[in-house]
Amino acid sequence: MSDWKERGAEKIFLLSTIISSSITLLILGFMAFMALPLLRGGLFYLLTEPWAPQQGLYGIYPMILGTAVISLLSLLFAFPLSLGCSFLISSIGPKSLSAAFRRMVQMMTGIPTVIYGFVGIFLLVPVIRELFQSGSGMCIFTASLMLGVLIAPTMILFFCDSFDRVPRSYIDAADSLGANRAQTLLYVIIPLARKGIFIGVLLAFGRAMGDTLVSLMIAGNSIATPGSLLDSVRTLTAHIALVIAADYESPEFRSIFACGLVLYLFIAVVILAVRRLAFRESGKRA
Amino acid sequence: MKTTLQDKTKIQVEDLNFFYRDRHILKDLTVRFAENSITALIGPSGAGKSTFLITLNRLWENLPEARMSGKVEITLDGLRRDIYQGNLPVTELRRQVAMVFQTPNPLPMSISRNIAFPLKMAGNRNQEEMRHRVEQALKMAYLWEEVKDRMNDDARKLSGGQQQRLCIARALVLEPEVLLMDEPTSSLDSTATEVIEDLLLELRQHLTILVVSHYLDQVKRVADRVVTFEDGVIISS
Amino acid sequence: MKRTGEKLTIWYSWTCGLILSAAVFSILAYLVFKGAGTLNMKLIFGDASPLRAVFLQQRVFEGLFPAIVGTFILVALSIAFALPIGFATGIYLAEYADFRVKNAFNLIFDILAGIPSIVVGLFGFALAVFLHKHYSSSIQPCLLISSLALAFLVLPYIIRTTQIALEGLSPDTRLTALALGATKLQNLFYVLIPQSLSGMVSGLILAIGRCAEDTAVIMLTGVVVAAGVPKSALAPYEALPFYIYYISSQYTSPEELMNGYGAALILLLLCLFLFTLAFVIKKRLTYLAFYRP
Repeated sequence: MSDWKERGAEKIFLLSTIISSSITLLILGFMAFMALPLLRGGLFYLLTEPWAPQQGLYGIYPMILGTAVISLLSLLFAFPLSLGCSFLISSIGPKSLSAAFRRMVQMMTGIPTVIYGFVGIFLLVPVIRELFQSGSGMCIFTASLMLGVLIAPTMILFFCDSFDRVPRSYIDAADSLGANRAQTLLYVIIPLARKGIFIGVLLAFGRAMGDTLVSLMIAGNSIATPGSLLDSVRTLTAHIALVIAADYESPEFRSIFACGLVLYLFIAVVILAVRRLAFRESGKRA
Repeated sequence: MKTTLQDKTKIQVEDLNFFYRDRHILKDLTVRFAENSITALIGPSGAGKSTFLITLNRLWENLPEARMSGKVEITLDGLRRDIYQGNLPVTELRRQVAMVFQTPNPLPMSISRNIAFPLKMAGNRNQEEMRHRVEQALKMAYLWEEVKDRMNDDARKLSGGQQQRLCIARALVLEPEVLLMDEPTSSLDSTATEVIEDLLLELRQHLTILVVSHYLDQVKRVADRVVTFEDGVIISS
Repeated sequence: MKRTGEKLTIWYSWTCGLILSAAVFSILAYLVFKGAGTLNMKLIFGDASPLRAVFLQQRVFEGLFPAIVGTFILVALSIAFALPIGFATGIYLAEYADFRVKNAFNLIFDILAGIPSIVVGLFGFALAVFLHKHYSSSIQPCLLISSLALAFLVLPYIIRTTQIALEGLSPDTRLTALALGATKLQNLFYVLIPQSLSGMVSGLILAIGRCAEDTAVIMLTGVVVAAGVPKSALAPYEALPFYIYYISSQYTSPEELMNGYGAALILLLLCLFLFTLAFVIKKRLTYLAFYRP
C-alpha cells in the first residue's frame, strides 16, 4: 500500500526537477529563437558593427566592449581589495575583529544593487566629475569603481572559504615550526588555495558581467564606442533595459535578444570553466 | 521451504560477493549461523566485517556505487527465504533483522519517542500498546529502571552507555529475530561494556546475534562461535 | 628581504580592510543622513489618511504605500511559485538522483544561477509576448508574469540550499531510521527534513530578500511608476526598487528626490532585516534541532 506512495513521491520529485531544469534550457531557446533573424543576417556583422539604427546598423559591438571593459576594470579594482580583506579576516586580524569584519562583509551582500546605483549617482559621480574635470562623471571609471565595491564582498567570502579549507594539519605544522601569522599565510595557505582564488575571480567576473543596475545608472549609456576611461558607455545588460520599449519585430528589438544570448553563452562558458577547475582539484566529487 | 526440527540454521550465506566502487570487498563468502547463538566476527580493519553485516539487512542498497551478488537466506517466521528475491519488503526485513551501530545514534527526540519510533514507522497507532511495548523493550535492554521517571527527556542527554542501551532497546521493540551489532561497546567504558555483554548473554535466548568486535577478551566472554575475516574472505569459523 | 614582504602583507591587509569599511560606511551613512529626515507617514501615504489607505478605501498618490504593497505581493507570489518546486527538486537531487544524473543537473542549475537577472527578465517578457499571441490577449507584462520570472530567478537558491542542507547530514543520521524499518519517505519526513530545516529556512529567507531587491527582472515584466495598489495579478503594479531607480533619473523636484532617499533607506533596512533574520533563524533552529524533546 505504501509502495505506490513511495513511487508516487519519487515521481513528483523527479517531475519538479525536470520542470526546473527545462527553464534553463527554455531561456536559451527563447533567446536564440528571437535573435535568429538578426543572427541569420550575419553573425560577424552583429558582433563587430556599431549601433546606429538610423543607418541600418544593428551591431552590438560597442555594448560588448562596454561590458568587457567595465567588468575587467571592476575586477581590477575589486581583486586586490578583496584579497587584502580576506587576508585580514582569515589570518592577519585578531580573532574578534576578524569575526566582526566578516559579519560586515556578509551584511554587504544583502545590500540591494539599486542602492549602490542610487548612492553612486548622487555621491560618487559628482566627486569623479570634480576630480577629473571632464564629462559628466557618468563613465566607465565611476561605474567600475561602484561595481568593484558591489562584487568585492562575494569575492572576499569566497577567498576566506578557500583559505579555511586548507587542511588544519599544514597550518599546525607551520605553527609548530615557529612561523608567525603572516608567514603561514604567505608560504602555506595562499599556495594551497591558489585554485580557489582563481575560481573566485572567475565567478566575480561572471557576476560583474551580469550586473544591470550599476551600469545602467552610472555608466552613461552612450552608444558610441568608448575611447577613454572617462567616456560614457553602454553595456549589454543596460542595452536590454533601454531598448525593451522598442517596436516588436524590429531589428532593434531583436538585438536585445542577441545581447541576452551573448550574455547567456558567456556565463555558461565561465561556469563550465569553474566546474572543470573545481573538479580537477577535488578528484571525483560532484 | 519449512525447516525441520533438527535444522537450526538461522542465516545461510552462499557465494556472497560485494563490490564498492572498484574494490572487491567480500569474496565468495559461504557461511551459516545457528539460531539463538552469539557469533563474533573478528579480523583486521577493512577486512569486510561491517560490510558483511549490512548485506544481511540490505542497508547497503542506500549507498550508490555498491553491488552485490550471491544468496542470503534467513529463516524468519519459521520460513526460510532468500532476502533478495521473493516478496519480503525491505522495510519488513529490517524490522526482523535489527541493527545497532558502533556509535550510539539516538534520534533528536525524547527517550519514549525514540523507542516508539520503529513502531510508528511500522504503522502502529495504538498508544496503549506502544507504551507497553516500549516498556518491555527498555526492560529487556536493562535500561528501564534508569529512565522510567524521565521518559520525556531528550535521549541525547543520556550517558554513552545508556544511549547505546537505548539503541538496543529501540532495535528490540519490534521483536526481531536477528540482531546485528557493529562494535557495540567500542565507544563505551568498561562498566558500561560489562552491562552490555551481560545483556547479550541474556538476549541470546530469544535472538540470533552477530557481533563485530575488536576485543578478543570480549569475544571470549560472550561468543559461542568466532568467524574470522581477512581481506574479504573467511579464514576460520 | 623576507621580513619586509611579511610586513608589507600585514600593512596591505589592514589598508584594504580600512578602504572597504570606509566605502560601506560612506554608502550607509550617506543614505541615513539624507533619508532619515523623510521617514514619516507622509512619505508612505502621501496626502491620504493612513488608516483608510491601508483598507484600500482611499487611493494614495505621491506615497510609497502602493510600491510597498506591490513589492510585498510580488515576493509572496514568487515564493509561492518557487518554493514547492525548488524544495522538491532539492530533495530529488540529494536523495534520489544517482551520481551522474546529479552532476548533470547540478551543472544546469549552476548555469541557471549564473544567468544575469536582466536575461531572466527578458525571458519573462518574451514569455508574456508568446502567451499573449498564442493563448489569451489579456496576458501582458504584469504582476503574474513578474512573479513567475522572479521565481525562475530564485529557484536555484532554493534548490541549492535544500540540497546542501540534506547532503550535509552525517551518513549515520541517514541510515538510522532506515535500519529501524522506515521507508525512504518516512526517513525523509521524520528525520532528514527536520534536521536540515535550519539550512532550508535561511535559504528561503535569502530568496525572499532577493525577490524584494530585484529591479532588472521587474523592469522588463510589468512594473510601472504609477499604478496604485495592484487590482489583480494580471494588472500592472508598483515596486520599491523600481521607484528608486526611476526617481534617480526622473526626479522633478527636490521633494521627489528626498522621497527617493527615503525609499532607498526603507528598502535597505528591509533587506538588512531579512538578512539578519535568516542568520538568526539559522542559529536558533540549529539550537532547537539539537534540544527538541
